[in-house]
Amino acid sequence: MKLLVLYVLAGAMVLAQNDPGSWTTYGKNSQGWRYSELDQINTRTVSKLAAQWMFQTNAAGKNETTPLVFDRMMFVTGPNNFAWALDALTGRLIWSYKSAPQSGLNLCCGAVNRGFAVKGGKLFKVNLDGTILAMDAASGAVLWQTAMEDYKKGYTATAAPLVVKNLVVSGMAGAEFGTRGFIDAYDAETGKRVWRFYTVAGEGEPGGDTWSGDTWKRGGASTWITGTYDPDTNLVFWGTGNPGPDLNGDVRPGDNLYSCSVVALDADTGKLKWHYQFTPHDVHDWDAVADPIPVDVNFNGRPVKALIQANRNGFFYMFDRTNGKLLQAKAYTKVTWADGIAPNGRPILISGQDPTEEGNRTCPGMGGGHNWQATAYSPRTGLYYFTSSERCMLFYKTSQEFVEGQWYQASTVGRSEPGGGRILALDPKTGSTVWHFDTISPPTGGVLATAGGLIFAGDAEGYLIAFDATTGKVLWRFQAGGTIIAPPISYALDGRQYIAVAAGQTMLTFALPK
Amino acid sequence: MFRLTIALIIAATCRAQSTNPLAGDPQAAETGRWTFRILCAPCHGIHAGGGRGPDLTRGNYSVGDRDQDLYGAIARGVPGSEMPAYGDRLNADAVWRLVSYVRSVARHDAETVPGDVAAGEKVFWGKGACGQCHRVGGKGSGIGPDLTRAGRQRSLKYLRSSVMTPDSDITPGYGTVKVVQKDGKTISGVERSIDNFSVQLMDLSGKYHSFVREDVISIARESRSLMPSYGTVFSESEMNDLLAYLLSLRGSR
Repeated sequence: MKLLVLYVLAGAMVLAQNDPGSWTTYGKNSQGWRYSELDQINTRTVSKLAAQWMFQTNAAGKNETTPLVFDRMMFVTGPNNFAWALDALTGRLIWSYKSAPQSGLNLCCGAVNRGFAVKGGKLFKVNLDGTILAMDAASGAVLWQTAMEDYKKGYTATAAPLVVKNLVVSGMAGAEFGTRGFIDAYDAETGKRVWRFYTVAGEGEPGGDTWSGDTWKRGGASTWITGTYDPDTNLVFWGTGNPGPDLNGDVRPGDNLYSCSVVALDADTGKLKWHYQFTPHDVHDWDAVADPIPVDVNFNGRPVKALIQANRNGFFYMFDRTNGKLLQAKAYTKVTWADGIAPNGRPILISGQDPTEEGNRTCPGMGGGHNWQATAYSPRTGLYYFTSSERCMLFYKTSQEFVEGQWYQASTVGRSEPGGGRILALDPKTGSTVWHFDTISPPTGGVLATAGGLIFAGDAEGYLIAFDATTGKVLWRFQAGGTIIAPPISYALDGRQYIAVAAGQTMLTFALPK
Repeated sequence: MFRLTIALIIAATCRAQSTNPLAGDPQAAETGRWTFRILCAPCHGIHAGGGRGPDLTRGNYSVGDRDQDLYGAIARGVPGSEMPAYGDRLNADAVWRLVSYVRSVARHDAETVPGDVAAGEKVFWGKGACGQCHRVGGKGSGIGPDLTRAGRQRSLKYLRSSVMTPDSDITPGYGTVKVVQKDGKTISGVERSIDNFSVQLMDLSGKYHSFVREDVISIARESRSLMPSYGTVFSESEMNDLLAYLLSLRGSR
């Protein structure tokens, strides 16, 4: 509450990442903690939380957006290149944006978008056809628009950009369609590209020998979830996706750098400072795109500048973020493909776990483990919160040639046994799970941590749930009437704290009664 | 690839031709196989031999045997069945490649069962009392899956397994759920809806119930079907008759 008062006194027009009442980047701060310092809604008051307003987008498709809130407005991106500016107090529409997606887009997983970035009154977003654009926050007018790559060659884009100083950093999507992944940085003023880092090492480049022949040209390793920026080290951390084709690695012998990796890039130049590959030569579609989170922790009795990630392959990892040295790796879910991670950082493989023509059961399944859904870190509890699918799958492979415009996945997965998911709290210091909440379905939405000692998360059946961040006890829930695929956020306006989340085709907010 | 829900390529609404322009092209069947494994195998089996969806290797199809019938079933789905439309996810070329693949696996030696349809109908409504839970046309009960079109929707192998070992695959929406109430009473029924905090179910008498988790001792999904096994109930000839009857159920649209 104290923070809330301070914030109101400071004036609502202040736009800064450390302003607890605003939400101005995908992960709340550039480190992606998704931690709100607001505490009016807390473990004692949350039972009174009530719906305030709803905005019906009337836009069909999946809503994966993280809304931004500043200057009394909420900025929401939607599926199929929609976007809206809403009054944050009432939900009334201020302006809307639509750009009909090009026909013939190669989208593996829906015409989705995960949010805006902002700098100095300019909003930034990507469109499905692989473009990045800047818009005037007050009017929605497009200020510049730049094509990152050719959508006709399978390049698309879905992630929220990340503002780093004067740059707008963006990933791409399309690893199922024979693309070559990259991370780009654009000048926030002009939209001109400043640097590009290819996440597939090319012929003659360091790491290029981890591919065979010209397979690197369609190596995938897409970058479809927003990375993080650590001002301490001036590094951009970004997770990369699966190599292509997904389930048959025979055509691409080698480790396939930098697929299924985290890359640490110099923020000003895009030069690779270090990398770590979680799943060398992946054949299970275990993208490593989950938010890479810089946190400072005490590990083995000494302070460490760490980087943590719950990877889709079933292991939790912690690195020294200054140099990429692996500090610990521990399974947080059932894992049958590796018997731990060796001190040299390589997984200790269990044989017979690759996909086969007739299907081979491996845990975790194709979706993980933890997949892409937003994670949270609370400095108040020192815990790391994320969702996980708890099921195994049959992995099939087939031989498949690359045909431009054809899905390049080389088979599929099948059900092995029923399974659900969980929302869990993990102590990064030990790699051990502190509490978990089992869900009947695999997870869909992301999580939010707050200074009120709460964790908010949405589920597949449409519940927004508030947990005690320390114990995992369910303290409040609301049936929102549509699957929650997006992470919740929190903001403050006129002395009241709000929780906002997209559910189904609706944006809705909650606050305590006045 | 970040989801299991797999959407494929291009919204194409090209009007279908009546014959497959790729007929006779072995490469078309092969590329169709790649797509088949991604989109179709979950229901039709990894080798198209059927499962929850019809066996496509039989060489004759409930939707009709012409190329354009198969194209239409893939592009527009099959109304009244679980077969969805793929026309907004696959372009015409990709649909024809799937047709090519389906043609390439046809054996034309349709699986048959040496049973009598009329006798099987008697077993269904009489000794089996299947109508207590299943509906055929306007007759029977809706507690279990509607069998009006079972012969179109399911392979012989699948039907036999469903009668002998009903737990082996449970049609979505017909799972079993068990609730233990605070007074110790237990209710089992067909799960109509379930989430992390509540359950809605239909008991075997057809009565509807709804419970919130904190008001009961436990809510548990069970991996068994509420349908008992009929493996030892019927003689071999009764079983064959029943299967012949089920295979004959083609419904009407």
